Amino acid sequence: MGYVAVKGGTKAIEASIKRLKYERLKGQDSIHVETILATMRGMVDQVMSEASLYDPYLAALAIKQAEGSMEEAVFLLRAHRSTLPRLYYSQTMETENMFVERRISASFKDIPGGQLLGATYDYTHRLLDFQLIEETKSDIEQWLSEYEQEVNCSNPQEEVIYFPKVVDYLREEGLFETNPLENTPPDDITKKSLQFPASRSERLQVLTRGQTGAVTSLGYASLRGYGQVHPTVGEVRVGNLPIYVSPPTEEESEYEDDYYIGEVKLTEVESFVPVMKQNNRNKKELEFEIGYGICFGQNETKAIAMSILDQCLDHPEAPYPTHDEEFVLLHIDSVESTGFISHLKLPHYVTFQSKLDSVRGVKQEVEKDEN
Amino acid sequence: MKRRRRTEILIQGDSHVAKEFAASILEQYPCNEIISPRYGLTMLKIRESAKNSLFYLGEVLVTEAKVEINQQIGIGIVAGMKDELAKHLAIIDAAYKAKLPITNEWEIRLLEEEQSILKKKVKKQAALMETKVNFETMDI
Repeated sequence: MGYVAVKGGTKAIEASIKRLKYERLKGQDSIHVETILATMRGMVDQVMSEASLYDPYLAALAIKQAEGSMEEAVFLLRAHRSTLPRLYYSQTMETENMFVERRISASFKDIPGGQLLGATYDYTHRLLDFQLIEETKSDIEQWLSEYEQEVNCSNPQEEVIYFPKVVDYLREEGLFETNPLENTPPDDITKKSLQFPASRSERLQVLTRGQTGAVTSLGYASLRGYGQVHPTVGEVRVGNLPIYVSPPTEEESEYEDDYYIGEVKLTEVESFVPVMKQNNRNKKELEFEIGYGICFGQNETKAIAMSILDQCLDHPEAPYPTHDEEFVLLHIDSVESTGFISHLKLPHYVTFQSKLDSVRGVKQEVEKDEN
Repeated sequence: MKRRRRTEILIQGDSHVAKEFAASILEQYPCNEIISPRYGLTMLKIRESAKNSLFYLGEVLVTEAKVEINQQIGIGIVAGMKDELAKHLAIIDAAYKAKLPITNEWEIRLLEEEQSILKKKVKKQAALMETKVNFETMDI
């Protein structure tokens, strides 16, 4: 049997794309990008994080275009990113400068500055709120006005407070190792393909843009025994971090000459992981290491899972899949994994026919032998 | 006022301030547009607190514009798709670089706007402080 090259399907493809638009519009209703921005915070944050491009408006547009499909929205935003020039690199961002909206610790009750719950689903009943079906604009306005009045009655402060890091407090006490500032320029996986062993900067870059579900699953797998890391969360902080860039044309510019360009909302996690280490007297003793997680937007589960995987990958000697950087880093990217899986539904006529030929050949040989 | 503080005020504050400043420059000085507002990316470099090393967090979409006033090039950069603001920032940047006398008149307005930004931030933080936990130790 010979192979036949085929072409065609152009009209069918055009009709299919039209049908896709029909599916989006057939309900005779549409959602404004602004409405997605105002009401789907979690989804917008997740799309930006997995696309590795921070722009809430474009993320909302991608969600609208993708009809809420997360993988498609991430693909759209990642594709758009590839059409834009990279104009600048930011100055080094330090999360001590974050305007904190939420900050908690699972390790200590009393942390300097206190625990700030901010906005969280953690203490809500997971029961469907059927009143939301009837929610009107005037309901919203009334609630907001009452809330703002309530908040206005609270004691105003004099200045903005910047919260210290929990880990710094512990470092001062000598309970955690203090690492010197490491200023080696980071590697960039968008400029150079990942090779193993990966550098720490590459690992963190892959993890922070990983698919939320994949990062969470592998972090969970480590906790369940497919890894050796089971941390206590030292600090979760959510808030906005300012971005500055240095003047591109001015040599020897000073700190005060930087351009402020805006801010990004981030979730950052420092996990404390107990590890056995040998001390100077050659005796084993328990110490703590830090697992680090961070991502665009408010996505605490992903950031915590990232902190677990960061620690796992820091200990490649452990014989578990979550400690294998090739296993973790090559399988958590949304566009790569969904792209590869979904390519399986595209025409594989030649390769499949070839496999069929092999099977038929073997069967014929067997029949001949039996006769 | 130095650029870092100035751009913080102009971007975080009311966008009308940048618009008014830019308009007052354009009334008095010729301005050449070198790069009209365009979109691009800024890669964010961040320090992680476990090992104190650096890595790239991801990119933020920015709008950039460049103009020339009195042979000085001004740059406007702002996160998001904000064509007008980027251009106004570029004009103001060029005005400061060219040391135009009008920039001295802006100082008071900028300081006022800075106070207004601070007030809003303080108010926002006070509202967030309502969610601060007061632990009580229980007797068991």
